[in-house]
Amino acid sequence: MYITVDNQHTFVATGGKPFNPNLPTVVLLHGSGTDHRGWALQARWFAFHGYSVFAPDMPAHSLSAGEALTSIEAMGAWLVRALDAAKVSNVHLIGHSQGFLVALEAAVLLSKRLLSVTAMATASAIPVNPALIETAQKDPALAAQMMLQWGFGNRHQYGASAVPGMQPIGIGQRIMANNPLAIDLAACNAYTAGSKRAQQLASEGCASCVILAAQDRMTPKKEGFKLAQDLGTHAQVIADTGHMLPMEAPKQSLSIMKTFIQTLEK
Amino acid sequence: MSKSSFLGADTIALHSGYQPESDHGSRAVPIYQTTSYVFDSVDEASALFNVEQGGHIYSRITNPTVAVLEQRLAALEGGAGAICTASGMSALFVTFFSLCSAGDHIVSAAQIYGSTVTLLKHTLKRFNIDCTFVDINDQDALAGAIQDNTKLVFCESIGNPGLAVSNLPAIADTAHQQGIPVVVDATFATPYLNNPIQHGADVVVHSVTKWIGGHGVAVGGVVIDGGNFDWLKSGRFPTLTQPYEPFHGMNFWEEFGPAALAMRIRCESMRDIGAAMTPHNAFLLLQGLETLNLRMQQHVTNAQAMVAWLQQQDAVAWVNHPDINADAHTKTLFPKGAGSMLTFGVKGGRDAGAAFINALQLSSNLANVGDSRTLVLHPGSTTHSRLSETDLVAAGISADLIRVSVGIETVKDIQADFGLGLRAAAKVATAQLAQTGT
Repeated sequence: MYITVDNQHTFVATGGKPFNPNLPTVVLLHGSGTDHRGWALQARWFAFHGYSVFAPDMPAHSLSAGEALTSIEAMGAWLVRALDAAKVSNVHLIGHSQGFLVALEAAVLLSKRLLSVTAMATASAIPVNPALIETAQKDPALAAQMMLQWGFGNRHQYGASAVPGMQPIGIGQRIMANNPLAIDLAACNAYTAGSKRAQQLASEGCASCVILAAQDRMTPKKEGFKLAQDLGTHAQVIADTGHMLPMEAPKQSLSIMKTFIQTLEK
Repeated sequence: MSKSSFLGADTIALHSGYQPESDHGSRAVPIYQTTSYVFDSVDEASALFNVEQGGHIYSRITNPTVAVLEQRLAALEGGAGAICTASGMSALFVTFFSLCSAGDHIVSAAQIYGSTVTLLKHTLKRFNIDCTFVDINDQDALAGAIQDNTKLVFCESIGNPGLAVSNLPAIADTAHQQGIPVVVDATFATPYLNNPIQHGADVVVHSVTKWIGGHGVAVGGVVIDGGNFDWLKSGRFPTLTQPYEPFHGMNFWEEFGPAALAMRIRCESMRDIGAAMTPHNAFLLLQGLETLNLRMQQHVTNAQAMVAWLQQQDAVAWVNHPDINADAHTKTLFPKGAGSMLTFGVKGGRDAGAAFINALQLSSNLANVGDSRTLVLHPGSTTHSRLSETDLVAAGISADLIRVSVGIETVKDIQADFGLGLRAAAKVATAQLAQTGT
């Protein structure tokens, strides 16, 4: 669906069903340079199993208009405005990589509207090599290739695909090369409040779930374990996958996500 | 440059899409000779049917062995995804069917395979899809042929059998300026010699039967979705950008983006038309693919040697191969050589040509190309026999044209065989001269 946020045409994937703000809403937040399509399979499952799905393309990403936001804090605040525009009440926030940093910022602002947070292949801080940011500014396609070569785990480097016949590296390359990757990476690099925000959520008793990838070379799992500690929870690690966890292991990641959220809903 | 793998082409051909499975450690890709797949539960079955989960339901739609070939070919061509089909012609049909509806229009190169002409000119016409044929390298003609209802520009990277090389970057520029995608049949080129997506193509089709399979034992096709075309921005593709009712209003562009076309073909054409590749054929074609790069080197080397040899034979009237007096775009697009197809005519015309073919012992007279063995054919009386005189001329086919798919035999043996044919042709030509008294 398209909604208007800050006077900009904004795309929000709803998992193939009309959006119903009265249902418990699962918010799926994409990582740097990517878009809602990384959540295609998980989004459809939630949408067809009693939840509303709200998976936005951040401003200037893929199907959304507007200017790219330059800080994680601004992205978190934007997300809350987007949820307000769609009249969403209570939300489960799920974020991949940068998407979870955005979730942390939004979570604090959402206060009692927040039902839970789920972190996937991420950390409380995501420092980015300046050379990669510079490459993304000069040659986004090359930077996307560098990230995909680093980001996907071994199986996908050898052409594995959760969806028969597809090439996730090729799909990711097309999406990332056309999105404001450099701005996203710079925003990640500048963000330092993640650990504090995570501890704040833990102190407020927010339910949380952390899903990590065994072969993650972009946000190594040891950093994910620290995040889990900040959130006051334990991390679950999916074997044989890299940083692009939502695309590499949609079935396994969905299994953990839905078990966590269904348990809370009960 | 669009990439779908960071492995080299030789490694992709051998490894991409499959690593030894955990149960038995089979090094070769197993043949999943099954129609269907047991679901863990009713919920899992439902999730698979509703595209909430990747996996296999029924081998008309997907099969694990076929999927390895698909992922391998997508990686080799630098695409976002691939769909294998029962044949190259069915690959073309599902592509056209997925992009066009009744009332739409296609612009096609005139110099293409005869059955593709028939599909575009007659079969699709029954569905009220029209086609205009143009000299594809005449950019003014191409631009002028594009109409408001045009949905794609089609060409072969190397035309069959005229062997004209399509200037892909120029064609893509012209088509893209008007929001039209370019579909390229790259069968004669193979992924070893040229990757059309890197030169502006949006969709690549192969008859995998040919050089990719390479052994003349299995028929198959593939559609590779390049993933670079913005179907929404074009504004011409409701099949990809509007809700698709049979899948709860699925919008393929919104949900799958760069793989929208591949997913539409999977969800609609494979389900409703069912031109599926069999798992056993996929296995056979994978064996061929593993050595494609090595075989193509020998194919091209032999073809170049045969061109040089034929040009020296007195009985030969003319020889055609894209590398002869190659223009700039041919050199750019085919730095390793423009394939292993050649055409030639013998002195004495059609009858002498027939004598040539009938005298061959090593080479095979048959309707195929891309076998490891050398193949010859007279297109005017076979593959292109359904074309009118006008269409034959447009396709670059003269009455005396002999099409040769140069194999990978020892080249002196091919030359010796052709020597037999040329002697037989020369006798006919001499007799003709005696009859006419000139």
